[in-house]
Amino acid sequence: MNLHELVNELIFDTKDKSLGMFMPELCLCATIVLLLLIRLFKAGQQVDLFWVVLAGTGAAVLCASPWTHLGSAPAVPVVRTEIFTGMLVYDPFTVFMRAILIGFAFLFAIFTKLSGIPDREDGADIYTLVLGSTLGMCLMASANHLLMVFMAVEMASVPSYALAGMLKGRRVGSEAALKYSVYGAGAAGVMLYGISLVAGLLNTVHMPTMAAQLAERLPTMPSGEAMVLAVGGLMIMVGLAFKLSAVPFHFWCPDVFEGACAEVNAFLSIASKAAALALLVRVAIGFGAIPPEARHTQQVASAEIGSRGLFAVADDEHPKEDTAKSNGDAAHGHSEGEAPHAVSGTPNENLAGSRFFMAKLIAFLAAITCTFGNLAAYGQTNIKRLLAYSTIAHAGYMMMAVPAMLVMAGDAPLRAQAAVSALAIYIGIYLFMNLGVFAIVAFLRNALRTEEIADYAGLIRRCPFTVVCFVLILFSLVGLPPLAGFIGKFAIFASLAEGWTVSGYTAHFLIVLLVVGGMNTAISLFYYLRIARVMVIEDEPADRQPFVYPEVSLQGAFVCLLTAPAVLLIFDWETLSQWAQAATQYLLVAA
Amino acid sequence: MMLLAAEVAPSFWHGFFFVFFALLTCGFALGVLFSNNIVRMAFYLVLSLGASAGLFFLAGAEFVGAMQLMIYVGGTLVLLIFGVMLTAQSRFISMKTPSGEWVLGVAVGGCLLLLLLSVAFQVKDWRTPRGKGGLSLEDSKTSSQIGMAFTGVRVDKLDQKNEQLAGGMSGYLLPFVIVSVHLLVVLVGAAYMARTKRRATATGAVG
Amino acid sequence: MIALVSVSVSHYLVVGAILFVTGVICMATKRNSLGVLMGVELVLNGANLNFIAFGSSYLRANSLGLDGQLMSLFVIVLAAAEAAVALAIALNFYNNHSTIDVDQASDLKG
Repeated sequence: MNLHELVNELIFDTKDKSLGMFMPELCLCATIVLLLLIRLFKAGQQVDLFWVVLAGTGAAVLCASPWTHLGSAPAVPVVRTEIFTGMLVYDPFTVFMRAILIGFAFLFAIFTKLSGIPDREDGADIYTLVLGSTLGMCLMASANHLLMVFMAVEMASVPSYALAGMLKGRRVGSEAALKYSVYGAGAAGVMLYGISLVAGLLNTVHMPTMAAQLAERLPTMPSGEAMVLAVGGLMIMVGLAFKLSAVPFHFWCPDVFEGACAEVNAFLSIASKAAALALLVRVAIGFGAIPPEARHTQQVASAEIGSRGLFAVADDEHPKEDTAKSNGDAAHGHSEGEAPHAVSGTPNENLAGSRFFMAKLIAFLAAITCTFGNLAAYGQTNIKRLLAYSTIAHAGYMMMAVPAMLVMAGDAPLRAQAAVSALAIYIGIYLFMNLGVFAIVAFLRNALRTEEIADYAGLIRRCPFTVVCFVLILFSLVGLPPLAGFIGKFAIFASLAEGWTVSGYTAHFLIVLLVVGGMNTAISLFYYLRIARVMVIEDEPADRQPFVYPEVSLQGAFVCLLTAPAVLLIFDWETLSQWAQAATQYLLVAA
Repeated sequence: MMLLAAEVAPSFWHGFFFVFFALLTCGFALGVLFSNNIVRMAFYLVLSLGASAGLFFLAGAEFVGAMQLMIYVGGTLVLLIFGVMLTAQSRFISMKTPSGEWVLGVAVGGCLLLLLLSVAFQVKDWRTPRGKGGLSLEDSKTSSQIGMAFTGVRVDKLDQKNEQLAGGMSGYLLPFVIVSVHLLVVLVGAAYMARTKRRATATGAVG
Repeated sequence: MIALVSVSVSHYLVVGAILFVTGVICMATKRNSLGVLMGVELVLNGANLNFIAFGSSYLRANSLGLDGQLMSLFVIVLAAAEAAVALAIALNFYNNHSTIDVDQASDLKG
C-alpha cells in the first residue's frame, strides 16, 4: 500500500460511500447554517424561522427515510458499513435511532411553535442549539470510534447546557444551566480520562479494533492490566451514566428539569436519553463483542480499489452500482482472511469476561436507578420535578435491556439482538408518551401559569379532553396493559427472562432485575395515580384565577396526535416490532 | 559536577527537563487548588498549562504543544480571565472554602489519586522506558502526518506493521469538519446566554 | 538524581493523574464558579497528557501512535468550546443572582 492508494481509498470512501449515508446529518448542518444566513438580510428578519427548521428537519427525515430501510421487507436493505474510514458505523440501528432523533426534532419544532416558547426573537438561536444538539445525538447513535464517542457527547451536551438556561431572566433557569454545565463538564472530563486509559492499553481508538485487540489479549491478560481496563471502563461509564441520569449521577436531573422550561425538559428527557441509550449499546458492544464482518471492511474495499488503481475513482458506475453488494463481498473476503486467526477459542468467547463485568455493572445501575427514581418521585409536588424522577426511573427500565443483551451476546446473538430491539420498541413508545406529557404540562402552564400538581385540582371539569389524554398517557407510563407503555415494558422484561434462560439459569442477576422492575412498576402506579386523582376527583380550588384553555385548537390536536399512539398501538404493534427487529439486525450477527 | 561533563547522555537532559516541567505543572496545579484568590488561580492555571506544553514537547508532540500554548494558554485562558474581570468585585476575589468541604474533597481526591497512581504502574509496557536506539529522526516529524490525518489520509498507516491495528487507524476528516459546526452552534449559544434580552418576555413564562 | 531515571509512560501518567485529581478536587471544593471551570480545564489537561504519553514513540515502541496526538488536539478544541458556553452561563447566572458563588445556587433543592 502506498500514499497513492491511501488517497484513492479516501476519495472512494468519502465521496461514494459515506456522504450518501450521512445525508440526514448534512441536512441538519445545512439548516443550522441557513438559520444564520437568513438573519443576515433585512428581508430575512421578517421570516419566521420556525418554517425553516420544520423544512430542514422534514428534509432530514426524508433523507433518513426509515420506511425504505426498515420493516419486514425493506425496499433498500441496509448492511452494516463503516463510514468515514471507520469514524461512524451505518447500520439499521443507526437508521432507526436517527429517524427517532430527527423525527423528534421535527415534532419538537411544532411543539415549540404551539407553546410559544421560545418567542420569535429567541427562536433562531434556540433552534440552532436544538439542531446542533440533535446532530451530536445522531453521531452518538452511530459512533464507532472513541473520539466520536467523546465528541458526540460534547456536541449533544454543550448546546443543552445553554438550552437549560433558555429563559434567561429567570433565576432558577440560570441556576439550572449553571449546575448542568458544571456537572456535565466534570462528567465529560472523567469520561475522557477513562477513554485515555483504555486507548493507551489497547493502542487503538477504533472500537471494533479495540474489541479485536481485547479478544486477543483478554485470556492471557495480567491482573494489573485488567484492573486498568476496569478503571477505564468505569470512568467511561460515569460519563454515560451522567447522560442517562442513572443513579448515582442523576442529581442534576431534577434541578435542571425544575429550572428549565417544559419544552427543554421534553428535549432532554427524550432525545438526550434515547441517544445516550444508543451510545450505551454501542459502547457495550464495542467492549463486549466483535461486530460482524466489520473490521476491515474499508481495507478490503481499498484493496479492491488498489488493484484497479485510479480507475476506481474515475469510474463512477461501479461504486454506485450497489453498495450493499460490495459490502457483502467485503464481508466475505474478511471471513476468509480471518479464518487462520482464531487460535484459542473464538474472539467472542474470549470476551465473555468483559461482557459479564459490564452486564453486572449496568444491571446494578439499572436496578438502583429505577428504584430510586420511583421512590423519589413519590414525594414531589412540582410536576416537572416529578417527571424528572419519572424520567430517571424510565432510564432505569430501558437500561435493563443492555445486560440482557450482553448475557446473550455470546451464545445466542440473535436473541441478544432481540433484547436490543425491545429497547428500540421502548424508546419509540417513550418518545410519544413523554412528549405528550410535557406538551400538556407546557400548555397547562400557559393557561394556568403554574406547574404545581396541587393547582391541577379539578381540571377535569374545565378541560375534560386534555385531562383524559393526560391520564391515558400517565397510565401508559405506568405500563398498564391495554396501553402502549405495556408493550415496551413487556418486551424488556421478556428479554430479561430470556437472558436468564439462555445463560442456562445461571445469570441470576437478570431475574433479580426482573423482580426489581416488576416491583417498581407497582410503586410507580401510586404517584402517577396521584396526579390523576388530583385532576379528576379533587374539587377546584376556590381561589383559582379565571383562565382560558381552548380544547378545540391546534394545541388540542397536537396532544391528541401524541396520545393516539399510546392508546392505539396495541392494535398494530407488529409494525413497530418489525421495525425494531429490522433495526437491530447486524448488530451482532452477520447477514 | 556531572552536569558540566561534556559526555552527559542526552537521555539525562530529557529526564532532567521532564522532571523540571512535571514539577512546574503539578506545582502550579496545586497552586490553583490551594489558592483562594481567583486572579491568582487564573495565573497559576496559565503557568500549569504552559508547563504541560513543555511535557508535550518532550514526548515528541511539538504540534500539540504549540497548539496547547496558542489555544489553551492563549485563548481559553483569556476567556476565563475575561470572566474573572467581568465578575471582579472584591467580595468574589477571594472566597474561602469551608474546611469541612476541604477535608472531604482532599480525602476523596487522595483515594482517587492513589487508585490512579497504582493504575499508572500496572502495565509493564508503560513502566519500561524505551531503550536507546530504534528511535530515528523520522519519529519526530509528526506535523505533516497530523495535517494529512485531518484531511482523512493516515500516512502513518504505511508504517504500522500490526495489520489489525492498521485497520483501526481512521482518518479524522469527519471530526475535523463536524467540529466546525459544533463551534458555530456553541458560539451562537454563548452569545445567546451572554447578551441581555432586549425586551421583557411577553409569552407565558412562569415568573 | 531522579533526573537520571529514563522517562517512561508511567511517569507521564503520574503527572496526568495529579492534574486530574487536582482538577476534580477543584471542581468539588471551589465556591467561585470560575474556579470550578478552571478545575475542568485541569481535568481535561490531565487526560490530554495521557493521550500524548500513550501516543509518543519516544516513550515506548508500541504506542497509540498519531491517534494520541489527534485526540488531544480535538480535546483542546472541544474544551475551548465548552469553556465558552460555561463562561457565558456563569455570566448569565451572575446577572440574575449578582453572585458567582455556586453555594448560593440553592433555589432548586439539590
